Amino acid sequence: MTSSACDTASPRCSSMMEVCEASSVSLREFGCEQSLLSRPDGSSSFVQGDTSVMAGVYGPAEVKVSKEIYDRATLEVLVQPKVGLPSVRERSQEQCVRETCEASLLLSLHPRSALTLVLQVLHDDGSLLSCCLNAACMALMDAGLPMSCLFCGVTCAINTEGEIITDPTAAQEKESRALMTFAIDSTERRVMMSSTKGSFSVHELQQCIAVSQEASEKIFQFYRDSVKRRYSKTP
Amino acid sequence: MFSSLKRRVDEVLLPGDEFSFEADDTISLTEPAKPEKAVCGPGLRRSGDRLVVCKSGVLRHKAPNVFWIDSQQRRYVPAKGESVIGIVTAKSGDVFKVDVGGSEQASLSYLAFEGATKRNRPNVQVGDLLFAQFIIANKDMEPELACIDSSGRANGMGVFGAGGLLFRVSLGLVRRLLAPQSEVRSDLETLFPCELVVGMNGRLWVKSSSIQQTLIIANLLQSCDTMTAQQRKQLFRKVQQGAL
Amino acid sequence: MAAGFKTAEPLEYHRSFLKENCRPDGRELSESRTTTLNIGSISTADGSALVKMGNTTIICGIKAELANPTVEAPGKGYIVPNVDLPPLCSSRFRPGPPGEQAQAASQFIADVIESSEVIKTEDLCIDRGKLCWVLYCDMMCLDYDGNILDACIIALLAALKNTQLPEVTINKETCAPEVNPEKRCGLHIHKHPVGASFCVFDDSILIVDPTAEEESLSTAQLTVVTDEEGRLCSLHKPGGTSLSGEKLQECISRATARQREIQKLIDKVIHSVKTAQ
Repeated sequence: MTSSACDTASPRCSSMMEVCEASSVSLREFGCEQSLLSRPDGSSSFVQGDTSVMAGVYGPAEVKVSKEIYDRATLEVLVQPKVGLPSVRERSQEQCVRETCEASLLLSLHPRSALTLVLQVLHDDGSLLSCCLNAACMALMDAGLPMSCLFCGVTCAINTEGEIITDPTAAQEKESRALMTFAIDSTERRVMMSSTKGSFSVHELQQCIAVSQEASEKIFQFYRDSVKRRYSKTP
Repeated sequence: MFSSLKRRVDEVLLPGDEFSFEADDTISLTEPAKPEKAVCGPGLRRSGDRLVVCKSGVLRHKAPNVFWIDSQQRRYVPAKGESVIGIVTAKSGDVFKVDVGGSEQASLSYLAFEGATKRNRPNVQVGDLLFAQFIIANKDMEPELACIDSSGRANGMGVFGAGGLLFRVSLGLVRRLLAPQSEVRSDLETLFPCELVVGMNGRLWVKSSSIQQTLIIANLLQSCDTMTAQQRKQLFRKVQQGAL
Repeated sequence: MAAGFKTAEPLEYHRSFLKENCRPDGRELSESRTTTLNIGSISTADGSALVKMGNTTIICGIKAELANPTVEAPGKGYIVPNVDLPPLCSSRFRPGPPGEQAQAASQFIADVIESSEVIKTEDLCIDRGKLCWVLYCDMMCLDYDGNILDACIIALLAALKNTQLPEVTINKETCAPEVNPEKRCGLHIHKHPVGASFCVFDDSILIVDPTAEEESLSTAQLTVVTDEEGRLCSLHKPGGTSLSGEKLQECISRATARQREIQKLIDKVIHSVKTAQ
């Protein structure tokens, strides 16, 4: 940055895009930016290859009386597709993301308040649900909400030859005979969420979980690096 | 435990990172064994025999044994004893409702002003700005403000006078401004004389001799948020020279 | 006394039972509720089934309609599943458009149909590019007491097995389809997917076939769908606390056992209906 940049420095450019290279478990290039929106209390955009999702978190804010829960915060997740209105598919994604976030957030620390997480799909090129999960986790972290652990999403596809492809593109998803998305937690690397499509054997499932756990290490390291970078920018 | 915490001071930690209570490897025979006690501030939680990080941020340490996580949160969560700038939104019976930017509006009794009695009500209107401190703030109860300290004195708190400008900055900047040897504050002092009120809820109120100067200060502080110390010094120097 | 304890401290109440390896309704942790099945309950539908698992009651009706296939898949028909959770079945549901749970359940059933290939959509094609069957599978909950996903899958499978489609011929001259309601034939069911749902209590205790109360107190839910070959069609865990691989394995083996039980039950019911006729 040149010195003139600071005169016009936009108030929210605390972390720049960054990139992680893929190695043994092949993941596409990742990118993440935190607190890029000015209105939400926490925001992030997460890029996996060409798949890109933006997330915004509001809260803890005032809650509608009808949705008030006396001993914990109410979490609402909205998934906005790139085109059209949210449909049944988005509802089921919302359910998956919401329940995963609920398990990792310490909601009992903010009773009778509302948290709203909005996920805007910018582009879908496969592994959408895992990208949503990653964007959600980064946004929740950015909002400074108390969490017991982090989580990340990994999508695995099994193609017709029986090979496991992690983080598949839309084309690879289409050719695959089974598709699984897992959310892995950061403390014990166990499965928090699972959503599958297609039929597969128990052995294949276990392989996919093992591969996802391996991939999660990388994603968590990427989380750490991007948060570090963000904090190194500010004095 | 202590050593493992100290080793990671000033490091960036993420939720889920853990510290376990580990017995010291060597036991001193000469000194009596002292139980270690660490005081945990925001972002650290005890879970069984471990200490778990629950917010992302930088681990800070204050001698002798206080640890906390310095995070860049934007939503204010009320805490007892903190001074905030609030906006009166409603009068209902004996209390005022005050918006402080948290999840719930805080209440403020009309008796919680200096010299207020049942007869002599303070002159507070809806829309007024207040500087007050929390006397009740916990997750299970409605937060309550007071404009007097424990000895019944205003001590700088109360309704703001006319003029001045209210604006929002990040919670991180507010904490930096209030730090004992704040660089931002000392830099600001070199510019023009001004009256600055800092609310822990991220609200700042500035009043200066002219509207122009007030606006310059507000803009400077808002842009300070994401600048390094060097960038800030450069910018302030420019303003001093009259470039802006 | 017990009723008061249950209302005031529902979680503690359940925990005290789980400590003794049993549940408030007398079941063991890995015991399902009694499942009863009635098929052909709706005479106006092309296929129907009523399932009761404990108090949970789901009725599934299948209506076949003629339609034009889509341009992308000219040789395929389609199946439209819908799960309805009306206010009748529980006070937690409000009238109006379907809530998140109903929509998520509909999506889950659609995924199971697609993943398991219970019916090949090619079988529903009558005339390539021109005419095909659409199967509207409506699952309605009459009494909600937890674990609707399992009940929905059983109801759907039994209703599909009960479905009799009329023969359709295309008139060569007018090109109009002619339906012969006298001559009917059943659908070809390729696979028999059956689900088994689990709840996780206090992050570690697994219980099978949860009731509504157990579901609301649990920290995670999990549904495993398997077919008769032991292949998994779905491992649906919409979040909640994490599970280790061993626990998952336990769930899967329980699910395969459950699949055998339910398939036996369906075959038995169908057989008894046939012999009664």
